[in-house]
Amino acid sequence: MSAPSIPNLLSLRGTGRGRGRGRGGGTPGGTSAATGSSHDSTIQGTDTDAALSRLSAVELGYLSDPFATLFTGGQPNQPHSALPPPRRLPIINRGTYTRTTGIDLLVDSFLSSTDASRTRQILSLGAGTDTRAFRLFSSPSSHTNISYHEIDFPSIIARKQHIIQTSPSTLSSFLYQKPNPSNPLNSPPHPTSSSFSFAFESDGPSRNNNNTLHLHPLDLRSFPECPLSRFDSLSSAHPTLIISECCLCYLAPATTTRILEHLGRLFPQSAMVIYEPILPHDPFGKMMVSNLAARGIVMPTLTEYPTQQSQEERLRAEGGFTEVRSKTIDRVWEDWVSPGEKERIDGLEGGLDEVEEWKLLAGHYLIAWGWRGSGMGKGLDIDVSRGDEGGDGDDTE
Amino acid sequence: MPSLPSSVDLDECIARLYKKELLAESVIEAICAKTKELLMRESNVVHVQAPVTVVGDIHGQFYDLIEIFRIGGWCPDTNYLFLGDYVDRGMFSVETISLLVCLKLRYPDRIHLIRGNHESRGVTQSYGFYTECVRKYNSANIWHHFTDLFDYLTLSVVINNQIFCVHGGLSPSIHSIDQIKVIDRYREIPHEGPMADLVWSDPDPERDEFSLSPRGAGYTFGAQVVQKFLSVNNMVHILRAHQLCQEGYQTLFDDRLSTVWSAPNYCYRCGNMASVLEVDSNGGRFFNIFAAAPENDQVKDMQMPDKMNPGGEPGALPDYFL
Ligand SMILES: C[S@@+](CC[C@H](N)C(=O)[O-])C[C@H]1O[C@@H](n2cnc3c(N)ncnc32)[C@H](O)[C@@H]1O
Repeated sequence: MSAPSIPNLLSLRGTGRGRGRGRGGGTPGGTSAATGSSHDSTIQGTDTDAALSRLSAVELGYLSDPFATLFTGGQPNQPHSALPPPRRLPIINRGTYTRTTGIDLLVDSFLSSTDASRTRQILSLGAGTDTRAFRLFSSPSSHTNISYHEIDFPSIIARKQHIIQTSPSTLSSFLYQKPNPSNPLNSPPHPTSSSFSFAFESDGPSRNNNNTLHLHPLDLRSFPECPLSRFDSLSSAHPTLIISECCLCYLAPATTTRILEHLGRLFPQSAMVIYEPILPHDPFGKMMVSNLAARGIVMPTLTEYPTQQSQEERLRAEGGFTEVRSKTIDRVWEDWVSPGEKERIDGLEGGLDEVEEWKLLAGHYLIAWGWRGSGMGKGLDIDVSRGDEGGDGDDTE
Repeated sequence: MPSLPSSVDLDECIARLYKKELLAESVIEAICAKTKELLMRESNVVHVQAPVTVVGDIHGQFYDLIEIFRIGGWCPDTNYLFLGDYVDRGMFSVETISLLVCLKLRYPDRIHLIRGNHESRGVTQSYGFYTECVRKYNSANIWHHFTDLFDYLTLSVVINNQIFCVHGGLSPSIHSIDQIKVIDRYREIPHEGPMADLVWSDPDPERDEFSLSPRGAGYTFGAQVVQKFLSVNNMVHILRAHQLCQEGYQTLFDDRLSTVWSAPNYCYRCGNMASVLEVDSNGGRFFNIFAAAPENDQVKDMQMPDKMNPGGEPGALPDYFL
């Protein structure tokens, strides 16, 4: 069984065909967003997949996330609609747990290493219906002054916004919509203009925690014609954490390079966390590419940044991050999950039988992170502060 | 104990199963009951003579099971020993276990089935067999018939008084093979103890002794454990399955133990090779290596919703982290 070949996007670099699949519909300059709508809906569908994986991990007790059900039902007010939530396999649940807690750890490190009395920005690319912002805002550690920005396709953002606005008490207890005159409440978001802002307050004694969530409908392929700087609520002055949790991998390498460079210019004091698949060329990786292709999913950056090392290099060279680290999900589990927590997780589904398969699967995904600017380093240099050696590109076969 | 009703023609059942057709629930019930009677008479340690072809984990990969018969010979022309893990993970656990049980009942001395850790009520609820039974038969009845039958499967086989065969591995509470014979095996696989260890344990070439297994059940065991077991029991080799090997097999401890893995491209995901181990009448061992059967490509097509298959087959392709 051989994997279908992925178009060599390196050769397209700079020519403006910023699309993953060889439809040839791109217009010069890289704004090819209007074409290939069936591929677009497949990619947007990956958000549902991620949300259902999250729900499976939550329902089985891997993760605690009261917001996971909000975004997985058909109807916003009936989170549990007709279909029962799928139960993912134990290795998938463990992977969802590991990736989520790994990124959470880096987010917490960012927040604790920046001045809590001033605005800190988090910018999540392709956030989908991810619940991290809500978990953060409702967490007992009562974070303050977080300006959380999420970017995704207009249709995904519109749905999320609608669910938030009509959601039951889970959210409304600590969330209200900020008056935002430029965004009339009931009009659907326009692809290139309207963002939505929500303010949050915690239930605790300090009610004015000054946390806000901003939803920006934007097709990331429209960089740099639609630069982020046009979102008023985003400011270059604040320390900023950029997250791409399985998002950049769906874009053409030329596009992601532009995005990283753009972000580098925009946020001089920033850190970035990316979560991506790697190793497309070994037998497992080839099957991964071909199985995903059978579902219509193509990850163009996978061949461009196939290893742990090349992912680190990408953050350094394209993102301009002076310090860069990475860990495969396998290592995140080994190194960052405490023995007690491992035991708890192992007990949830009666032990993990598929140890070899877990190593293979989890060895094919990584979290890479980098930072630059003063005051950012101490918190994010987690390898050093946790005293482990940290693998360097030598995981898996 | 009911006997096989005259309406059930075993050869016809086998012919249908080779074509991947499902048997009626009542037929499965009768066949399981009859096979139970047969298995009940087997010891916890069954002795067989070579030549015999030893097969590792199948995990519902029906097309690859057929490929094994194509490569290694059909039953009963070739003697077979299966080391367990017939169900879970693959798409066709029901077809796979139905066929193997029918073959066992039809040719009891030509084919032997050892119990694997997936032949269990608990594990099959997490790893797919339960769901598949309910999906294909609209009820959990046949899952009950099969999992009740699993309680009767033997735990180990000895080939030519030389080769000790088990699904997982050794146990710190078993020194002599005679200790296996006294285990009360007619039950669900317990969480710990010798019976659990036999189906869950793994060799660890980095160690000498027993230590805790990362699987959360059974142990890992090292070189000294293996040597001691072989010399106490006068055996030359341990043959087991249970662990995915990219090459389809693995030999450890100076050729004292080997793993045979028979699910190529495991879970339609891992891209690995598979093998069966042919033991000749002199005890010589030969790994016959094979790749996934071409029919597996149909599995991929099933996932894509189309006119023939609206909605697509759920779970036809493995999940990834998206
Ligand atoms: C696999 S989902 C991940 C969602 C979320 N980050 C998580 O981890 O749960 C990928 C997300 O990236 C978004 N995405 C992909 N391409 C995009 C683009 N060109 N512009 C905006 N969003 C995009 C998809 O809509 C989807 O929500």
